[in-house]
Amino acid sequence: MIHMDPQERRQLQLERLQSTLNRACRNVRFHQERFEAAGRDPAEIQRLEDLQRIGFTYRRDLGEHYPYGLFAVPLRDIVRIHTASGTTLKPAVSGYTRQDLLVWREIVARALEAGGVSPADILQITLDPGLSNWGRDYKEGAEAVGASVIPYTPLSLEKQVMVLRDYRTSVLVTTPASAGQLAMHLHLTGVQPALLGLKRLILVGEPVAAGLRAELEARLQVETWQHYGLSEVPGPAIGFECSRHAGLHINEDHFLPEIVDPASGEVLPEGETGELVLTTLTTRAFPLIRFRTGDRARFIPGACDCGVTLRRIAWLAERTDEMLSIRGVKVSPDQVRATIQAALGRLPGNCRFFRRVQDARHWLEVWIGIDDGLFSDEIKELQRLIQTVGSRLEEGLGVPVTVRILEGRSFAADPGDPESDRG
Amino acid sequence: MLRIRNLKCYYGKIMALKGVSLHIGQGELVTLIGTNGSGKSTLLQAICGLMNHWDGEIRFKDASLRGFDPPAVVKAGISLVPEGRQIFPPLTVEDNLMLGAYTRLRRGERQAVARDLEMVSQLFPVLRERVQQLAGTLSGGEQQMLAIGRALMARPQLLVLDEPSMGLAPLVVARILETLADLRREGLTILLVEQNARAALQIADRGYVLETGRIVLEGRAADLLVDEEVKRAYLGKDYRDFDEGR
Repeated sequence: MIHMDPQERRQLQLERLQSTLNRACRNVRFHQERFEAAGRDPAEIQRLEDLQRIGFTYRRDLGEHYPYGLFAVPLRDIVRIHTASGTTLKPAVSGYTRQDLLVWREIVARALEAGGVSPADILQITLDPGLSNWGRDYKEGAEAVGASVIPYTPLSLEKQVMVLRDYRTSVLVTTPASAGQLAMHLHLTGVQPALLGLKRLILVGEPVAAGLRAELEARLQVETWQHYGLSEVPGPAIGFECSRHAGLHINEDHFLPEIVDPASGEVLPEGETGELVLTTLTTRAFPLIRFRTGDRARFIPGACDCGVTLRRIAWLAERTDEMLSIRGVKVSPDQVRATIQAALGRLPGNCRFFRRVQDARHWLEVWIGIDDGLFSDEIKELQRLIQTVGSRLEEGLGVPVTVRILEGRSFAADPGDPESDRG
Repeated sequence: MLRIRNLKCYYGKIMALKGVSLHIGQGELVTLIGTNGSGKSTLLQAICGLMNHWDGEIRFKDASLRGFDPPAVVKAGISLVPEGRQIFPPLTVEDNLMLGAYTRLRRGERQAVARDLEMVSQLFPVLRERVQQLAGTLSGGEQQMLAIGRALMARPQLLVLDEPSMGLAPLVVARILETLADLRREGLTILLVEQNARAALQIADRGYVLETGRIVLEGRAADLLVDEEVKRAYLGKDYRDFDEGR
């Protein structure tokens, strides 16, 4: 399939797109209503380009149809239900049929094999709780390849290193942020990377800057591969790097990619940078039609000399939406605000949050300006406040969070960090 | 080998096929499953030049079949085994078979036709035994074999079958489908339309599920065979409510 003639692939994509639209319109009211509102019938989609006539699906739509409103098969056909943080207090819930899980296993296995992973490898999965869904998908994909898998388990950095060293891990699936932290830890504790069995890093969750990538490869003495995926819905490895490391091949037999202008929504000419929009072609339980990923990307024209004919994208830093990417986990500002509001009973007048990075550690930092409503002369009260907000956020987002309560003047100060300033 | 895009067929004002796209690769056995009235036979009729009006694109070996009448389609390399066999009862088995090679005989391919007659006789030994018998006196299963044999006599590159199992005993059905699997192994490309979805999926490479004129599923036959929705709708499992107690 990965070497399929592009002409044949377009036929296959059209067939799969049409049957996906037919199923979605038959079984999901949300999709049906969008077609009806536009006065369109799925039969009008006669070429892949005709998809442009259909409206987008946004992240907020997932929350609005919580929990099962976008499922396209009866619940009894669902064998797995995934929950990921959404854009509001309501999470994004996606479902999988038995068939869907098999497809994901194939997709992940294909991506791992393109990165040289083989049955000879010991593969360790280290992700933040916010990406635990991917942990399961990577486990199954790597098992399908035949590698020995050390599945995702939340471990301290020290324990991770112990496993890495003692179990002789050869492939590590992790985020660029975690990999950076690991490299720093090894450096500080004097562990020689050459003494580890680590050969490959599969970097997921966020695009890795060229500088960081070179640094990781040099410090850890490994080769790195990037994978592109969606954390809220279907899963990881929608795009993967081949041995040439020249962009990410999109699994076009399962996804139809488009690059659109984030402002106008118009499809952009090939090679221009815009927002990646994905439509599922084989998903049964949870079809997505023109899903706005918020990821910035552009198509790389021409064929890759690795022989794989799947089209490639360059995945670029910064997003086209206001989501923050913290250790590969997408964090919605609306959800942060809603969580703080739920924890405190109201949203404080002064509230800011940032992605912070220090010594290769990444976390979400929340500043709450003290006001009459929050003020207490008891330190214990304020500590309780900090803890409540912090733990609610960590639970909801699955990333490390630090909460600080500040007075007016400090609150207004420059956070002194070049990272994103939102809130 | 065969590529269809956005095929729409009408009976008067009624649209029987609402934009169907499918393809069959060289050497593949592809099955089309669906209930009565889903549009399966309409699709075959359009391919075989039996529909006067259709919109969209049907291409066979990279050439359009638009405007082809049935003989032209046969000449292009597509043979149909029609629903209900439609053999000629008052003619002998041999004459029925020779009729299948009619265009070839007119081209003077006598020797090649004789070889194919031998090939069909080997494929269905029962036809050899009854070669001089009138076709109308054959059993249902034998008539079906004759219909397939007749289609093969045209030396098709694509064999199209419309409900070959209809009205036949399970053992006979198994025998016929086995023959199709053998032909596929020998390199023949086959499009099989069947109501007996399980049997068809067991021998097919890929399948399409047609529902009220639209394709709602496609995939590897092995995957469709274990698909919950296909099982419920076509493999004799019941269909209950959407949430059913959950």
